[in-house]
Amino acid sequence: MIPLAYLPPGTRARIVGLTGGYGQTRRLMEMGFTPGTQVEVLSSGPGPLLVKVRGVVVALGRGVASKIIVEPMR
Amino acid sequence: MKREIVVAVAGNPNVGKSTLFTILTGEIAHVANWPGTTVERKEGIRRHRGRVIRFVDLPGTYSISATSPEEIVAREYIVSGEPDLVLVLVDSTAPERTLNLAVQVLELTSRVVIALTKADAAHSQGIHIHVDKLEEKLRAPVVLVSALKGTGIRELLDTILDVAEGKRSGKSTLRINYSWLEPYISEVESLLRKQNVLPEYDRRWLAIKLLEGDRRLEDLLIQKGLKTVVEKTRSLRQAIERSTGRSISEHIITSRFNYVDSIARETVVRVPAPSAPMFSRIENLLIHPLYGPPLGLLILLAAFTAAFALNTGFPLNIVFSSIGLSEVAELVEEYSLSGLVEKGFSILGAKTAEILYAAGAPSWVVALIAEGVIPGVGSVLSFFPLIVIIYAALSVIEDSGIGPRIAVSMNRFFNYFGLSGKAIYPFMIGLGCNVPAVLASRASIEEEERKQIIVSVPFVPCQARLIVILAFVTAYFRKPVFQALSIISIYAVALLLALATSLATRRVYFRKKTPPELILEIPPIHRPSFKVVWWLTWDYSKHFLRKAGTLIVLLSIATWWLLSYGPGGIVEDVRASYGAILGKAISPLLLLYGVGGENAWKTAFALIQGLAAKEALIETIAVMQGGEVSTKEALLALGLTPLQAYSLLVFMVLYVPCFATIAAIYLETKSLKTTLVSMLYMIASAMIISLTIYYLGQLILLVAT
Repeated sequence: MIPLAYLPPGTRARIVGLTGGYGQTRRLMEMGFTPGTQVEVLSSGPGPLLVKVRGVVVALGRGVASKIIVEPMR
Repeated sequence: MKREIVVAVAGNPNVGKSTLFTILTGEIAHVANWPGTTVERKEGIRRHRGRVIRFVDLPGTYSISATSPEEIVAREYIVSGEPDLVLVLVDSTAPERTLNLAVQVLELTSRVVIALTKADAAHSQGIHIHVDKLEEKLRAPVVLVSALKGTGIRELLDTILDVAEGKRSGKSTLRINYSWLEPYISEVESLLRKQNVLPEYDRRWLAIKLLEGDRRLEDLLIQKGLKTVVEKTRSLRQAIERSTGRSISEHIITSRFNYVDSIARETVVRVPAPSAPMFSRIENLLIHPLYGPPLGLLILLAAFTAAFALNTGFPLNIVFSSIGLSEVAELVEEYSLSGLVEKGFSILGAKTAEILYAAGAPSWVVALIAEGVIPGVGSVLSFFPLIVIIYAALSVIEDSGIGPRIAVSMNRFFNYFGLSGKAIYPFMIGLGCNVPAVLASRASIEEEERKQIIVSVPFVPCQARLIVILAFVTAYFRKPVFQALSIISIYAVALLLALATSLATRRVYFRKKTPPELILEIPPIHRPSFKVVWWLTWDYSKHFLRKAGTLIVLLSIATWWLLSYGPGGIVEDVRASYGAILGKAISPLLLLYGVGGENAWKTAFALIQGLAAKEALIETIAVMQGGEVSTKEALLALGLTPLQAYSLLVFMVLYVPCFATIAAIYLETKSLKTTLVSMLYMIASAMIISLTIYYLGQLILLVAT
C-alpha cells in the first residue's frame, strides 16, 4: 500500500483509504475517490498528477495525492 | 394554473449546466447573490404550453452534504419549499460519476427530473444509455438532451410541466440499502418521528445525515432547542464508529457509489469509438512538465495580445511607430474599438450640451449630463469592448478544455506564491482590466485563496495603466532601449508585488504554510462551439455591465462634482475646485520625490483624478498645462528628472488602480474593512517602493558622479 502520489504514470491501482482532513476527504470521495474504486495515473511529473477515476480525468496536487492510499494492480 | 413553476437546476461542475441553462431560458433574467453568501444566484424564465417556468441555477457541486457554502445553498434551497421540482443534470459521457448527485437529490426529494446532457458527445464516444431502464431504476423521469444540437429540449420542458402538475412523479424518495447501518438509521428515524424534528426534510435522509455528523443540521437542531436529539445521534455515531472501526460517512458515500455502479452496469453500454489523435497530442503537450507551462502561457498571451490590439491598438501602434510608420500607428489607435467609442461619446456629449442649452436647461444640469453622466457611460462602454474580447478569448480557452490544463501546468509556479494554478486566470485578466480580474477570484474553491487573489490582483498593471506608462516613458526616455527597459521593469515590479502580497497574506494573515491544494476536474479537449463561446461571453459581459457599470457611472458623476464645484459653488476654472484643494493638501508628499511648487500640486491633483480612471491622469496633466499642448509636451513641462519620472510612474502604477476596482473588491468581500485596508495597503506599498527606487537611484547617481 502506497500513496497515490508515488505511482508512476500508466499504473492502475485500487483505492484503499483516504487520510487527511474531514472536508477534503469528503470532497474527494464525492468526486468518486471512494475506497475500492480503481484509478489510473495518466501523468505524473513535478507538478500535479492527472488521474482517471470513474471515467473522468482529475488533476490532483501532490499534497492531495499523497493522502490517497492505494494498492497497485498488476 | 396562474402561479409560475419554479425549477431548481442542480449538477456537477462541467456537466454542461450553463449551456443547458442558457438554451432553456434564452436569457438570464436575474443575477444576485444567495442571501448571506457571495455565492451567485442566476434565474431565467421560459414560457411553455402557456405556463411560466422560472429556472433557478444552483451552484455546481459534487454533493449536497454541507462541506462548502455552495452545497449548503443548494441543499437548503431544495428543501425550502420554493422550487416545485429539481432538475438534476447528469453528464452522459461520465454517468458513473455524475449520477451520484442525482441519486443524492432523489434521496432527499421525489420531485425530480433528470436530464442526461451532452447526448451528442456521448453518442460520438460510443456511450449509449437505456433511458427507460434508468427511469425504472431511479423511479424518476429521465430525458436525453443535447443543448448544442437543441434536441430533447421540448421533451424536457414537457416532462417538467408534467411533474409540476402532478401527472408524473415518483411517489417516494429513493432508498439505497446501507447494509449494516440500516438498523441504526431506523433507530434515528423513530427518534425523529417521536419529536417531529424538521418535518420539511425527508425523515430517512435526515436520519442518515445526522448519523454522518452533518454540522449544519446539528446546528439547526440545536437552534430549535433539540439539543437532546443531537446528543443522542452523536453518541450513537461515536458508538457505531468505535465498535465497527469504520467511518459512517465513508460507508455511506461508498455504498451510494456502489449503488450508482450497479445502475450504470445495467443501463450504460459502451462500444469502442475512434478517438481523435490530434487532440490527444495537444493534450500531452499541454500537460508536459517542460513544454506545458510555456505553451499554456503562449496561448494565453497570444489571445490577450490579440484582444488588446483590437481594443486600443497596442502593441500594433508601437510596432508601426518604431518602424517609422507613425501615421499608420495613429490610424490604428484612432480606429481601435475604445478609440471609436470614446470619440462617439465626446461627440454625443457636445451635441447633448448644445441641445440642452437651446432648450433652456440650467447650466449645472447641462454640465452634469454632458460632463458627468455621458462621459461616465462612455467610460463604461470604452471598457466594454475590451472586456467582451477578453471574455471571448477566455471562453474559447475554457470551452475547448485547454483552460484547466493550463491551470494544471501553472500550478507549480503559483504554489511558490501561496496560490494554485487556477490563479492564472485572474492574473491574466488583470492585464486587461482589474475589475473582471477581481470578479474572477471566484474560480478558487478555497476561501483563503479567493481573498489572496482579491487583495493582490489589483497590482497587476491593466491597460489603462499601460497608457500612463507609455506616455511617461516616451516623454522622458529618448533611447528605445531605456524605454523598453523601463516598461519591462515596471511590469516586473508590479507583478512581483502582486505575487508577494498573495504569499504574505497567506503566511502572515491566514497563517497557512502550504499552498492551496489543487483538485480540478479536467474535461476532454474538443473543438470549441461557437454557440457556447458566444453564450459564455455574453453572460460574463452582461454580468460586468450590471455589477460594475452602475458604480462606474456613479463614481464618474462624483468626480465631475469634485472638479466642477468649489467652496463657492460651480467653478469655471478647475484650479478652484474641491479637487484642486485636495491636490494642494497632499502636494507636500511630492516633496519626498524632490518635486515642489506648481508642479507638485498639479501632479497631486492628477493622482486624484487617476483614482477615477488611470488614463485620466495623463489627460488631467495636459489640461492643467493649458490644454493646447501635446501630451508629451505637457508631461515634459512638469520638469522632472528621468529618475523622478520613473519613480513617480512606479507610484502611479501601484497605487489604487481605480474606484471601479475598489467597488469590485467590496462586492466580492462584502467587507468594508477589507476594502479600506487593501486600499491603504496599496497606497502605502506604492509609496514605499517608489521612494526606495528614488533614493537608491539618487545614491547611485551620487556615487557615479
